[in-house]
Amino acid sequence: MLLPKRMTRVLIVGSRGALKDTIEVLYQLESAHLIDFSADEDGFGLGAPLPASSDASQKLLKLRSLKKDLDLESMEIKDQVDVARIEADIADTIIELGAEITGAMESKNNIHARLNELEAKKTTLQNFQSIPLDLEYYHNYDSLKVFTGKIRGDPNIALKAAVPQYELFLSSDGGFVAVFVPKAQAEEAQKILVQFGFTEVPAPAGKGTPTDLIGRVDEELITLRGGLEEATKKSSDLREKHATFVMAADEHLSIIVEKAETPLRVGTTDYSFAMDAWVPTEDMTKVEKTISEKLSGKVHIESLETMARKEAHGHVHEDVHEEEIPTKLENGRTAKKFEFLTRLLSMPKYREIDPTAAMMITLPIFFGLMVGDMGYGIPFILLGALGLKKTKSNEWRIISTLLFFGGIWATLFGFFMFGEAYGMHFAEQHGEISWSSLLGMQLPQQFSIFGYDIPIGIYSKLHNVREMLYMSIWIGIAHLFIGFCIGFYNKTIRYGLKHAIMEKLSWLFILVGGAMLLLVLVDLMIRGVTVEMTDWRLLAAIPLMLVGVLMAYKGEGSGAILELPGLMGNIISYTRLAAIGMSKAGLALAFNTIAFEVIFAHDPLVSGSNSGDMIMLIAALAIFVIGHLTIFILAVLSAGLHSLRLHYVEFFMKFYEGGGVEFKPLKVIRKYTVDKIGTGE
Amino acid sequence: MADAGLIAIGAGIAVGLTGLASGFAEKEIGSAAIGAMAENEKLFGKGLILTVIPETIVIFGMVVAILLWLNM
Repeated sequence: MLLPKRMTRVLIVGSRGALKDTIEVLYQLESAHLIDFSADEDGFGLGAPLPASSDASQKLLKLRSLKKDLDLESMEIKDQVDVARIEADIADTIIELGAEITGAMESKNNIHARLNELEAKKTTLQNFQSIPLDLEYYHNYDSLKVFTGKIRGDPNIALKAAVPQYELFLSSDGGFVAVFVPKAQAEEAQKILVQFGFTEVPAPAGKGTPTDLIGRVDEELITLRGGLEEATKKSSDLREKHATFVMAADEHLSIIVEKAETPLRVGTTDYSFAMDAWVPTEDMTKVEKTISEKLSGKVHIESLETMARKEAHGHVHEDVHEEEIPTKLENGRTAKKFEFLTRLLSMPKYREIDPTAAMMITLPIFFGLMVGDMGYGIPFILLGALGLKKTKSNEWRIISTLLFFGGIWATLFGFFMFGEAYGMHFAEQHGEISWSSLLGMQLPQQFSIFGYDIPIGIYSKLHNVREMLYMSIWIGIAHLFIGFCIGFYNKTIRYGLKHAIMEKLSWLFILVGGAMLLLVLVDLMIRGVTVEMTDWRLLAAIPLMLVGVLMAYKGEGSGAILELPGLMGNIISYTRLAAIGMSKAGLALAFNTIAFEVIFAHDPLVSGSNSGDMIMLIAALAIFVIGHLTIFILAVLSAGLHSLRLHYVEFFMKFYEGGGVEFKPLKVIRKYTVDKIGTGE
Repeated sequence: MADAGLIAIGAGIAVGLTGLASGFAEKEIGSAAIGAMAENEKLFGKGLILTVIPETIVIFGMVVAILLWLNM
C-alpha cells in the first residue's frame, strides 16, 4: 500500500495488419502505459496514423469551430449520448448545424455593424442640432465654402479682421461652429479657424432639420435592437438544442483521433510493429490472456523485466538516465482523497514510499491542534461533509476532506485538551470570561466514565504557553523521526542498508541526541534546575550526536554539517502549532471581551451578570458573529496552509524525492457519451 | 517589575524585525514563484515550499519573544 504498484516492462510485437486490433484491445484493458518509440532503433520507423484519423480530425475541426461559436464551454451538461447515434447523425448534423449557426452569427454581426453605424451618425447629428439650419443648406454651393466642426472659443472677431464676407453660426454651448465663406477666401478663413482649435465634422447628407433626422435614426435603432434580441435568442436556442450532441460528438471524435494516432508512438517496419509498454505486474496474467485470446497468434506479448525497487546502477550520486518507470499510486478510499496534495508537490518516484498515507494521518491532526476549538471544529465538520457531498472539482474536494477530518480533530482537541468553544472556556478559569460566567451556570471541569475522571480542558492556550511550546517541539521531533525512518526505508530499498545507515540513521542519532539535549536545556533555561555534568541525558546525547555527525559526514560529505542548524530550524518551525493556536485564541478573546464585557456589561467575576438590555445583547451578538466568522475564515487559511507547509517543507524533505512519472495507461474516459455496443469506432 | 517594559520592548523588536525580514525575503521568492507558475502550473508545490522557507526566521523571533515574555 505504501509503495507504488510494481511494474513489468513488456514488449508487444505482431504483424502490422493486427496493429489496429491490438490498440483496441489495449484500450479495453486499461493497463498498458505506452513508452514513446524513439526513432533511433535500426530498421524501425514511426508508425503512420490509422486511416480513421484524417476523417475524424476534419470533422473535429469543424465541430470545434461550431463549439466556439456556440460558446459551450460554460454549459453544464448532464445527459449522455449513445455512440451509435453520434455515428449515425454526425455528418448531417455538422452540415445542418453549420449552416444554421453561420446564418445566425452572420445576421447578428450585420445587425451589430448597422447599429454601430447608426449610433455614430446620431452623435454627428446631435452636434448640428443647436444650429438653426436644415441639413440641405450645407451642401451644393458653387461659390461658397462651408466649414463645420468643433471649435474652442468664438472666432467672430478674428474672422471679421481677415475675411470681409462670411456668415457664422455658433452652437449655444460655443463648442460647434458652421461658417460660410466665399471660395476665394476659404484659405484665410481656415487659417483663422485652426487657431481656435477647429476640427472638422462633415455635415451628413439628407434633408430636413437634424432633430427630424435623429428621430428617424432612433426609430431604426429600436427596430434593430429588437432584431438583435431575436438573433441572440435564436443562437441561445440553438445552443440549448445542440449542446449535448456537440459536446458528445467532440468527445467521441477526440477518442477516435487519439486511438487512431497511437501508432505514432509505436515502432513499425513494412510488415510488423513493436511496442514497448509498462504493465502493473498484478495485471500481467490478465493482459497476456486477453491478448492471446483476442488476437490469436497474430500478436505476441513478452514480459521483459519486472522492475525491482533497487537502483540498477548502484551508486547514489550518479545521474543515471534510464527509462522512467511510471508510478501508479495505490491508496484506499480515504487516502485517495489526499493523493491530490502529494501530486500538488510532485509525483512520487517508482522506487520510494508514497507519503500520502502518512500525510493523511498527521495533516488533520496538525490542523485540529492549531484550531483546537469546538466552536470552530463542529462547523468545520459540517462544512467538510457538505463539500464532500456537493462538490466535484479536485481542489474543493481536498479542501472539504481536510476540513472534515481536521474538524473532527479540532473538536476533540477543543473539548478534551483546551475545553473551549469560540475562544471561551467552558469552566471558569483565570478570572476570564467563560461560558460558565456568561450563562450564569457552573459547567463541569471534568466528567467520569467507568470510574475514570476525564478532564474537559487541561490547557489554556494563552495561559499555558510554556507547555504548548514544549508540546509542539516534541510533536516536531516525533514527526521528523517518522520522516527519517521513512527516509531510511527508502534508502534501504534503493541503495542498500549501508547507504541508509550512513545517510539516514546518522540523522536519527542526531535527532535523538538533540531531543535529549533539549530536555537538559529546558531544565537549565526555563525550569531553572541545575544539571550535573554526569546527568544521563547529557551522557547519552553527546556521543549520539557526535557519532551521528561523523556518519553523516562520511555518507553525505561536508554538506551534512551545514545542515545541522537546518535541523534545529526544522524542529523550532513546529512551534507554529502552538503559535497559531495562541494567535487565534488571542483574537477570539479580544472579540469576546468587546462583545460581552464592553457592550453587554458582563463582569466575568460575577456569574451571569449583564446589563440586561436587549439592544445591547443584539449588538454584542452581532460583534460576536462577525468576529468569529473572521477568525473562522482565517483558521482555514492559516491552519490549513501551515499544516501543509509543515509536511511539504519539514517532513517531506527528510525522505521525499518526487519527480516520478504518472502511470497513464491507454484508456478512454467518457463523460458525455456512452458506448452501448462495445467498441465504437 | 522595572524591567518589564524593557522586556516587552525587546520581545516586540524580536517579533517585529524578524517579521519584516521574513516578509522581505518571501516577497522576492513569492513573486518569482508566481512568475514561474504562470509558465508552468506544475511548479506550484515547489514554489510554495521555496516561498515559505524564510518563514522560519519569524518563528525564531517568536520563540525568542515568548522566552522573554515567560521571564517577565
